[in-house]
Formats: sequence, C-alpha cells, structure tokens
Amino acid sequence: MEFIKLEGRPFKGKELELLKDFLKRNDLDYDQGIEYSVCLLDENYQIRAAGSAEQNVLKCIAVDESVRGTGLTGSIISYLTQYEFENGRSHILMYTKPDNRDMFEDLGFYTVLMTDDVLFMENRKNGFEEFINRLISESPDEAFKPGVVIGSIVANCNPFTYGHRYLVEQALTCCDYVHVLVLADNRSSFGAEERFFMVQEGLKDLPRAIVHQVSDFVISAATFPTYFIKEKIRGEMAGCRLDLELFGRRIAPALRITTRFVGTEPVCVVTGHYNEEMKKILPQYGIAVTEIERKRSEGGAISASEVRKWYEKGDFEGIKGLVPETTLEYLKKKKKRPEA
Amino acid sequence: MEIKKPAMAGTLESSDCQVTVEPGDGKIDFVLESAVINQYGNRIRKVIMETLKNLDIDNVRITVVDKGALDCTIKARVEGAVSRSTDQFENILWGGRRKS
Repeated sequence: MEFIKLEGRPFKGKELELLKDFLKRNDLDYDQGIEYSVCLLDENYQIRAAGSAEQNVLKCIAVDESVRGTGLTGSIISYLTQYEFENGRSHILMYTKPDNRDMFEDLGFYTVLMTDDVLFMENRKNGFEEFINRLISESPDEAFKPGVVIGSIVANCNPFTYGHRYLVEQALTCCDYVHVLVLADNRSSFGAEERFFMVQEGLKDLPRAIVHQVSDFVISAATFPTYFIKEKIRGEMAGCRLDLELFGRRIAPALRITTRFVGTEPVCVVTGHYNEEMKKILPQYGIAVTEIERKRSEGGAISASEVRKWYEKGDFEGIKGLVPETTLEYLKKKKKRPEA
Repeated sequence: MEIKKPAMAGTLESSDCQVTVEPGDGKIDFVLESAVINQYGNRIRKVIMETLKNLDIDNVRITVVDKGALDCTIKARVEGAVSRSTDQFENILWGGRRKS
C-alpha cells in the first residue's frame, strides 16, 4: 500500500481534528505542546499512522490496527528523528506503553525507566548512565563516604534569588552535602547557562552545596512536559509522576540522596501538585521530602517571578532585597547588554 | 574532516539504515543496532570504518540502526550523514576517496 506523507508544524483546523480523532481511536490524547506532527494517509485520505514531537521528545505515536506489522512505526520514527536533527537535537527521548519495548528497541531506542504503565526511552545507548556518571564526577569523594547525609534541591532558578539560597542554607543545616540540580530547559526567560552561572556564583561561599546542571532527565520536556507551560494547565494534568519515579529510582540512589527539599508553593497549581505527588512517591524509595516555608521579604514570599517583573521594568531597587549581590550584578550587566 | 554538528541520514525502513553522527570526544565511538548483528555485525562495522577512514574522520560519535541494508546503502548513508554534519553539499563525498 502506498501512503501519502502529511506534515504539520503543528497541524491546525480540520487536519488537527482528524489527527485528534485518530489518536482518540488509539487511546491517546493530543498533547498541548506539540510543535510538529507527521501522518501517513492511505489513498482515501484516512490517517493510518501518526507521530508528533515536542522539543526533543517524540510522542502520540500510533499506527492503525489494520496496518500494524508493516513497518509504519519505523517510517514515523524516521520522519520524527529527521525533524529533530534538522533542529539540532540529537538526544531524543520518548515514552510509550511497556508492551512496545521490543519494537522500539529494534528502532534504536534504549530503556531509561519502565513502570507499570509507562516506558521511558532514549536514543543514546548508555545516555542515562553517562548523565549519572557526570553528576558523580562533579561531586567530591567525601559525598560518597558511608554515614554522610546527602540532600537535594531541584530548581529552575529563573533567576537565582535569596529564596533559593535560603532553601540551600536550610538544607545544609541538616545535611553534610546538598546537590543543587539546576534545570537545563531553555524555555525560561533566562537561558540554561546563565541560570547555572548565577547559581554557581551565588553559592560559591557554601562549599558543601554541589551545583549541577541537569539535562533531559530532571523536570524536562520529557519527564514533566507541563512544567514549562504552567499557565495553560490545570494541576491534575501535570503529568509529573515519571519525573519523580526517575528521581526516586535512579538518580537519588546514585548520589545517595536521602532527603529532597522543596519550598512551599502558595501560588502555582502545577508546582503545588508536583510537591504533593513528591510527598507520595519519593518516600516509597526511602527519600524523605522536607517542605520549607519560603523566605519572606517585606513584600511577601520571595519568588523568581516577582524578580522577573522588576527586571522587565528595569527597576533594580525593587530587586535589591530579593536576590544575592551576585545575581543583581549579573542582571544589571545583562540589562545593559541584552544580547550577551 | 571534522564533524561539526549532529546530523543524520537514512530511515528505519526495511533494507535501509539510519545513521546519526555527532561530534566525538577524540575517538570513533560506534554503536550498532541490527537484527542481523550476529551474522553481519562485523561486516557492517568494517564498511562503516572504511567509509569513515576514506572521509578522514577519526573523531565522531556514530550510531547505526540497521534494517538489513546492503553495503552500498550503508556507505551512502554514512556519507550522507557526514555531508550534512559538515554542510558539504557539493559533490565531494561521493565516489571514492576524498581529494585534498
């Protein structure tokens, strides 16, 4: 059978409706953040196979029952992979049902994590192991000695504030070392590199805080797709379980993390939901979750979004009490030379 | 020749192979997936290494997902991926040893 290839970046209107219908028949929902889709149509212009991509994540891949076993999944994955490489993304992730494991292994994907209902894969052999080994190599040997208490904080630090620093300080009062995992997603107002830089600078005087930049395996488009589009999403749709399972099962044990620290979340429903799920999931893997009341300034709880508002206005007096000197300096410099 | 950016060529369809290349860390890093790896793994490896040698490439992370491709297909896909990664679209890479 000959198929017609139809691409959407992303689909709109009638074509989008057709794709949504097709996915529904295959027990899948069309995801909000999709930026590219490819469909294979038969001679009657009916969709027989489809797949989509959001950032470096392949999703919503389905093949009609009548044409399964004819290699269409391979074609779909080929188109999606081509799309990702054209956009300079070579580390590709995907999730699917555990039943599909053999099929996707034959297409060059490797398992990162499998739970009862979801299978998380990547296209790089040992990609996850390399990630973990990098985190280990960035940590001092003392952080792996027996009896040492290790905590962890995961934060976007967009930008790095006194609130983040306070959380680290609090964590250090009951831990020997604290791993600070700074997110690497580039959809935030401040880029991954500059956020990492601000955290490093802002924690320089705290040698027991180990700052890492994390990649696709911690709160990313793959593990927690809704985190970066929070405004558009209701809490229960957050889809953050995979992220927490991965942290609990594979990341925390490798770094011997026994406590994860989070700030209380009074405003954002997605983050609030994430924290609630965290308290349910991580203790199953022997990791305590400690919620710390947010540091307050005169204006209320310190939040990075507040700082961004001041920054947009160019009001550095407003920012002053909210961020460390190092961040303030960086922000001033950046405002002067926005392109740097 | 230097691999400058990630690039790919080929598909996962039957009788083809998907080749991806990325900048390496000082050596040739080769990963092969194939249903016929037990029968032809060494042969496929040899074709790829020879093709890379002809292109003067010794620093690359190369992944090949083979779907039963013939030698000529494998060679063409490797050359295709390398061409794309080096933005070389003039007729330099095809047909034998690269000059200069």
